[in-house]
Amino acid sequence: MKALTLDAIRLGLESEIPALIATCAADGTPNCAYLSQVEYVDPSHVALSWQFFNKTRQNVLANPVACLVVVDTRTIARYRMVIRYLRTETSGPLFERMKAKLAGIASHTGMEGVFKLRGSDVYRVESIERVPGPVLPPPPERRNLLAAVRDCARRIGAVTDLQSLLDTALDCIAENFSVDHALILLRDAGGGRLYTVASRGYPDSGVGSEIALGQGVIGVAARERTPIRIGFAQAEYAYGRAIRESALREGLALETEIPLPGLAESHSQLAVPIEAFGRLLGVLFVESDEDLRFGYDDEDALVAVAGQLGTSIHVMQAAAEAEEAPAEGDAIRTPVAGSPLAVRHFAENDSIFLGRDYLIKGVAGSIFHALVSDFLADGRTEFSNRELRLDPRAKLPDLSDNLEARLILLSRRLDERDAGIRIEKSGRGRFRLVVSRPIELVAAG
Amino acid sequence: MTDAPLIDEELEAFLQSGVSLHAASRGAANAPCLMRALGCRVSPDRRQVTILLAASQCGTMLADFAQNGAIAFVASLPSTHRTVQLKGTDAKAGAPQPGDEAIADRQRAAFRDVLTGMGYDRAMPLALTGGDWSDVVAVTFTPTSAFVQTPGPGAGAALARRP
Repeated sequence: MKALTLDAIRLGLESEIPALIATCAADGTPNCAYLSQVEYVDPSHVALSWQFFNKTRQNVLANPVACLVVVDTRTIARYRMVIRYLRTETSGPLFERMKAKLAGIASHTGMEGVFKLRGSDVYRVESIERVPGPVLPPPPERRNLLAAVRDCARRIGAVTDLQSLLDTALDCIAENFSVDHALILLRDAGGGRLYTVASRGYPDSGVGSEIALGQGVIGVAARERTPIRIGFAQAEYAYGRAIRESALREGLALETEIPLPGLAESHSQLAVPIEAFGRLLGVLFVESDEDLRFGYDDEDALVAVAGQLGTSIHVMQAAAEAEEAPAEGDAIRTPVAGSPLAVRHFAENDSIFLGRDYLIKGVAGSIFHALVSDFLADGRTEFSNRELRLDPRAKLPDLSDNLEARLILLSRRLDERDAGIRIEKSGRGRFRLVVSRPIELVAAG
Repeated sequence: MTDAPLIDEELEAFLQSGVSLHAASRGAANAPCLMRALGCRVSPDRRQVTILLAASQCGTMLADFAQNGAIAFVASLPSTHRTVQLKGTDAKAGAPQPGDEAIADRQRAAFRDVLTGMGYDRAMPLALTGGDWSDVVAVTFTPTSAFVQTPGPGAGAALARRP
């Protein structure tokens, strides 16, 4: 019989039946303790949550060999492992993954305020044995996740522009992973923030909503560049709800916060960084109102999809701006009718209001301000990404900024406002301002 | 022996009420071994505890007990997290007594009720507490120390003997 591997049993590590560890003191006295969390690190390492200065802690520092017993909740198969303590991590990706997960476990078990992660104790797994005993048949798999990843790869690989890429990625994820609620956020290279560029499954799209690096499940995944996954409802990482509530409390007269979409009672959340060529581009986020909806395998599958998404985003951005800008002229003028629309621009943060309604702020706001200024100056409606990137009025934070994504964000916000002014693609690396009402630009603030 | 037993009547009842039970031993080079128990019995004078274990599930534990007698024994009620650990140095395996199977059956049934009461599907508690009685061994030891291990600030405190 082949030896058991940690990979093969890792679904059992996230069991609702707590694992136990036995250790021995320097004098040989054995000790037994319950564990809140056993985290799969790689095929030969696990990390255990260190929460208290207890006997287990004293023992492994004196004598690193321990015995771990885990029970797979689905089958009740029991595994006994000999493990050896190596080190404790108190910051970084592994620590943050475990800290977030523990917040869910604490909430689920009524231990909020008691369970707090002091460190992630990393152990090498030296042997694994299956303990004899009755087992249940494993439940059927929801989906073959390799087939799901393959379908995503095929469909994402076939698209040719960023807008279709974002839409296709969300469609693929919804269909292949039966995920009803998902967001794609991209990184604002200048501000240390992420902005929502596409979403599925929420009453409001939330396109344009922002989150700071380090805040909530999404912000921590971005800052640490590691997937963050929580299996139970909890409050500690519920950033979206917190900002919605604080915005309501303050009764902001000029509402410039677009609420981050989120389930009111999210039980399972998974945020996966989108990276390419060593750079963080954004975060893919999925959530569910079921407990323990996403496991290790879902996380691996979505990491693979996010990897391809990242490469595609990067390549499309470069391709869009390599196109030659079109010659001026042949501008399509749509008939202009109706009451005038006041486009109000607040210079301090480049926020834009259409009449009384907040549209956007920041880089997308300054881009829109430049487009409207040109339109009013000489009736211009055709623009190219390349000229806009070089235009100081666009205030792009750096050369690597994803301008195409900013334009998609602006376009979606304009469509949602439906105020008689919008932008549409007119070719690769080109777009058009479509104005169907008289407009006036007002310097406000 | 003039000291009061470490196990008072309330703890005696707790240990035998149908809780999650685990035992650990110390093997060669201080490598521990750990396994779930099927039941336990406290002696009438409350000075000894007998743990019922499936030998086939014990790994090196029975050999370890024969070699050095060191034992840690943990009892925990999942619905409240109340957890107590007993330790001893004279663990010795023997044959179960008549009536032990009935004791283990009663405790396993009570533990299954705790788990189903927490919302677990009935199949899970049955499998978790299942096992073949044919290879059961009875490991008896004298607790020499006892500790509170309920998660929280009091975890690790020694239980005092009551006069």
